[in-house]
Amino acid sequence: MKNQQPPSPPRFAQRIFQWWAGTADTEDLLGDLDEHFLYNLQSRGKRKAQWIYVVQVCSLLFSYALRKRKSAASYSTYYPNNSLAMLQNYFKIAIRNFQKQKLFTVINIVGLALGMSICLLALSMFVSIFRFDEFHEKKDRIFQINTQIADRNQKDLYASTLNAVGDYMEEKYPFIEQVIKIRSGFNPEIHHQGNLMSFHGYYAGPSFFQTFSFPLISGNPATALAEPFSIILTQSVAETLFRDDNPMGKTLETATGTYRVTGVMADLKQTHFYFQVLTSHQTYEMLHAGANLQSDWKTYRNNYVYVLLRPNTSPETLNDALAQVSANASAFNPNESITLESTALPQIIPSWNISNGLGVGWDLPTMIFFMVLGLLILMPAIFNYTNLSIARALKRAKEIGIRKVVGAEKNQIKAQFVVETILLTFLALIGSIFIFKLIQTEFLTMIMGADSLDTSLSLSVLAVFILFSLIIGIVAGIFPALYFSRLNPIHTIKGEIKSRSGGVSGIRKGLFVFQFFVSLVFIIGVGAIIKQYAFVLNYNHGFQSDHVLAVPFQSIDKQVVINEFRTHPDVSAVTAASNLPGLRLPITVDITPNEIDTLTVNQVFIGEDFIENMGMTLTWGESGNKQRSTQNEELVLVNEQFIRSTSVFAVQKDSLIFSLADGTRCRIVGILRDFNFEPLNELIHPLVFRYSLAESNFALLTVHSADIKKTINELDAIWTGIDQNASFEASFLDDKIEQAYYFLVVQIKIFGFLSALAIVISCLGLLGMVSYTTENRTKEIAIRKIMGASNKSLYYTLTKDFVKLILIAAVIAIPFSYFFYDMVLLRIFLTYSDGLGLTEMVLSIAFLFLVGFAAIYWQTFRVTRDNPATNLRHE
Amino acid sequence: MKGYLGEFEELVLLTIANLGSDAYGLALIRDINERAGRNLSMGGMHSTLTRLEEKGYITSYLGEPTNERGGRRKRYFELTSSGIASLNDMKALRDELWANAKVNLSI
Repeated sequence: MKNQQPPSPPRFAQRIFQWWAGTADTEDLLGDLDEHFLYNLQSRGKRKAQWIYVVQVCSLLFSYALRKRKSAASYSTYYPNNSLAMLQNYFKIAIRNFQKQKLFTVINIVGLALGMSICLLALSMFVSIFRFDEFHEKKDRIFQINTQIADRNQKDLYASTLNAVGDYMEEKYPFIEQVIKIRSGFNPEIHHQGNLMSFHGYYAGPSFFQTFSFPLISGNPATALAEPFSIILTQSVAETLFRDDNPMGKTLETATGTYRVTGVMADLKQTHFYFQVLTSHQTYEMLHAGANLQSDWKTYRNNYVYVLLRPNTSPETLNDALAQVSANASAFNPNESITLESTALPQIIPSWNISNGLGVGWDLPTMIFFMVLGLLILMPAIFNYTNLSIARALKRAKEIGIRKVVGAEKNQIKAQFVVETILLTFLALIGSIFIFKLIQTEFLTMIMGADSLDTSLSLSVLAVFILFSLIIGIVAGIFPALYFSRLNPIHTIKGEIKSRSGGVSGIRKGLFVFQFFVSLVFIIGVGAIIKQYAFVLNYNHGFQSDHVLAVPFQSIDKQVVINEFRTHPDVSAVTAASNLPGLRLPITVDITPNEIDTLTVNQVFIGEDFIENMGMTLTWGESGNKQRSTQNEELVLVNEQFIRSTSVFAVQKDSLIFSLADGTRCRIVGILRDFNFEPLNELIHPLVFRYSLAESNFALLTVHSADIKKTINELDAIWTGIDQNASFEASFLDDKIEQAYYFLVVQIKIFGFLSALAIVISCLGLLGMVSYTTENRTKEIAIRKIMGASNKSLYYTLTKDFVKLILIAAVIAIPFSYFFYDMVLLRIFLTYSDGLGLTEMVLSIAFLFLVGFAAIYWQTFRVTRDNPATNLRHE
Repeated sequence: MKGYLGEFEELVLLTIANLGSDAYGLALIRDINERAGRNLSMGGMHSTLTRLEEKGYITSYLGEPTNERGGRRKRYFELTSSGIASLNDMKALRDELWANAKVNLSI
C-alpha cells in the first residue's frame, strides 16, 4: 500500500481537545500527542495507537497542566507592560471630555467639592483627635488610671479614680517613677481691675511639667507647682490679665486666697487636658484640710491619677499591680465591685464609652455622628455624578461602542470610567480644600473645646484627604462604569441607546428622590430651629423679664446701693438674687424632708420683694418676705415641683418643714407655680428660694424709662458715688436670657449651612438632569412645536417627570421630618418646646420648590424658545 | 530548603538534567519509562512539569518548528539554579541518611 496517507490521529479526540482548551496555548501538547501517535503507529499498529491517543487526550483534559494554561489564557489579553500608556490615554480622554462637557464637569466638581468639604472637616478632626497626646516624650510610659465600678444594677467605667489610689501606688510600687495627681474643679474667680473673671483649671501634682511635655514659656518646670497657691497661666490667659507685663511672680486675688504666678505655658494643643490655669495639688489639700485624701477609698469624682513607669517596665506589671489595688479598694466598698484599669496616654482620646472624662472628652460616637452628617451631604453629590453620567450616555455611547469593537474588554471600559471619576474627584478635592479652609475657623469656634484641635493641613491630613477622595471616586464611578461596560457595541453604534436613556428611569429616580428628601429634611430642620429660637425668646418663663436691669453687686455694700437705687425716679422697684432667672442654675443643695432621705434641689437666694417684682405667682401661702426666724426655722419659698418631689417621702409630722444639709431647719411659707427658672432645655427642678441679701450677687432693677441710656448713666453715677473701686455693669435680663440660648444660634448656623449645601447640590443635580433630558428630547420638542404645541403644553411635558419626583420626595420627607424633629430632636434640645409648626414646614417646602422650579424653568425655557427648524437640522 | 520536593518531581528534575538540551514532554515520558519502567500519562507528566515551573525549579521555552509534528514546536525544559540547589539539598539529605544508617545497607 504505497502512496497512502499516513493514518492520522482520531479527529474527534483532537477536536474535543481543541474545543476544551479554547484559547489556551496547546501547541506543544498537540505536538507531543502527534509524535507519540506516530511512534506508537510504527511500533504497535493503528488501532492501538489511536486508542493510546484517546487515553492521552483524556488524561490531558483533566490535567492540572491544561487547567493552568486555560486560566493563564483568559488573562492573556492584558499586557501589563502596556498599562501605563493606557492609563495616560484614559487621562487624556477624561480631560477632553471634561472640556467638552462643561456643564457636566462644573456641576459635578462644585457638587462634590461642597459635599466633600464637610467630610474633610470631620476627617481633619478625626485625624487630629487620633493624634492627641502624641507629642509627649514619655507618652509610652504614662498611663491614666481608670475605675470600673459595678454594682448589681449597672457597670460604669470612670476616667477618674479613688482619692487614695495615687499615694498608695506611689508608696507601694517601686516600678512607678512618678504619680501625677490631677483634680478638676479649680475654677478661680480672679479680681482683675475691679472685675471678677472666672477661669477653669486643675489642681496638678508637682511633677506635672516634668512628666508631660508641655512647654513652659517662663518658669521652672521642676518647681512651678511645688508650692501651695502657685498658679500657672496659659499664654492667652496671661495676655488677658497682664497684657505686655511679665506675669512672673505677680499675685492674683481670688475668693479662696492669693495666688502667685510661677509660670506661663503655651496654649493647649492636641491634648486631652483642657484648662486655662493650673495650681498645685497642695493648694487643694490646704483648702480642704479636713479631707483625708490618703485614706479615702470611697470617692472617685474629679480625682485623676497618671502614673509614669520606669523605663523598660511592661504594662503588664502595672496591670498586675492594679489588680492588687482593686482588691484593696473593693475591701473598702463591700457593696460594689471595683476594678482599676489603665489607659496609655495617647489612647485616652478618642474614648468610646467612659464617664467623667477629663477635659472636653472627644468621644467616637459624636465624631461618627458628625462624619455621617457629612456623608449625608456628600451622598447627593455622588448621586448627581452617577445620574448625570448615565444621562449623558448618549454622548459617550458611540465612543464605548468603538472601543469595544476595536477590542476593549469590559474591565478596561470599567477602568476607564473609574479613572475618569477619580480624576474628577481630585479636581473636586482641590475645590473642597478651599471651602474647608474658609469654613474651618467658623465651624471650629462653634464646637466646644475645638480650640485645642490642630486641624491645619499637615502631610498626614492631606494623605487622608487624598485617600478619601480616591474612595469617593471609586464609589461614585462604579455604577456608571458598570453601566457603560455592559453596553452592546452594535446598539451604541447604530444609535439605539438613545431611546433607552431618554427618560428618567429606575434607580436614577430613586437617587433623585433621595436627594430632595435629604434637602427637604435639612431645610425643614432650619425652619424648625429658627421657630424654636423665636419661641424661646418670646416664651413666658413664668416671670417678668422685660424692663429688668441686672447689676452685679461685686464688692459694693449691697443694702446701701439698693436703697440708693430706689431713690431714682425711673426705678420702680429693686430686689436682689444670687442667680439670674432664665439662666442656668448650677447651685444645688441637699435637703432631708424626713430626717432620713436626701433630695438634691436647686437653691436661689433672693432679696426682698423678689416674688412681687418678678411677677411670679404663688399658688399657696404668702411670699413671706424678710428672714424671720421663729423657733430656729428659716422661712423659705418652694415651687410646686419641690412639693411633688418631696411628697414621695414618708414625712412624719409637718410636711412644710425640712432641713438642709448643713442642719438649717426650713419652714415653707409659700408655694410658687412652676416656672422655668432655667433655660427651656432644662427640666423644671425642685427649687428653694431663701431670703438672704448677703448671698445675693445681682441687683434686679425694674426700670421704666424714656431714655434708657440717660437712666443707666445716672445709675452709674449713683453707683460710683457709693464705691469707686467696683465698676458698674448693667445689662437687661432679656439680653442675658437671649445669650443663654446661644446654643440655638449655633444650631441655626450649622443646620443652615448644611441645608444650604444640600439644596445647592440637589439643585445642581436637578439642573443637570433637566438639561440632559431636554437635550435628548430636542428633536421631539421641535416636532411637537411644528405640530402646533403651545409653550404651556411643552413646559408640561418637559417638567412633569421632575415635578412628580419632587412631590414624591416631599411626601416622604414631610412625615419623616415631622416625626424626627417634633418627636425626637426638639424634645432633646428643648424640653419645653412647642414642637414643629405647620407654617415653617410649608414655608420650607415652598422655598425648595421655588428653587427647584427655577432650575427646571431655566433649562426648559431655552429649549422651547429655540427655532424648531434649526433643532431638527441639529441632529 | 524552599518547598517540598516529591519523589516523582525529583525523578523528573534529574531526567531533565540527563536529557540536557533535548528535554521536552514526550522525551521525558519515554526516558522515565525506559529507566524506571514507569508508564506515565501525558496529563500526569505535564501537570508535574507545570507545578515544577510554578515552584521555580524549571523554566521552559519553545523550540523551532519540526516536520515530524506537523510543524508544531516543542516545549523544552531546563533546570533553574534553585532547581539545582533543591536537588543538591535532597542529595545531601540522602547521603547523610545513608552515612548515618545504623543498619548495614550494602547488599
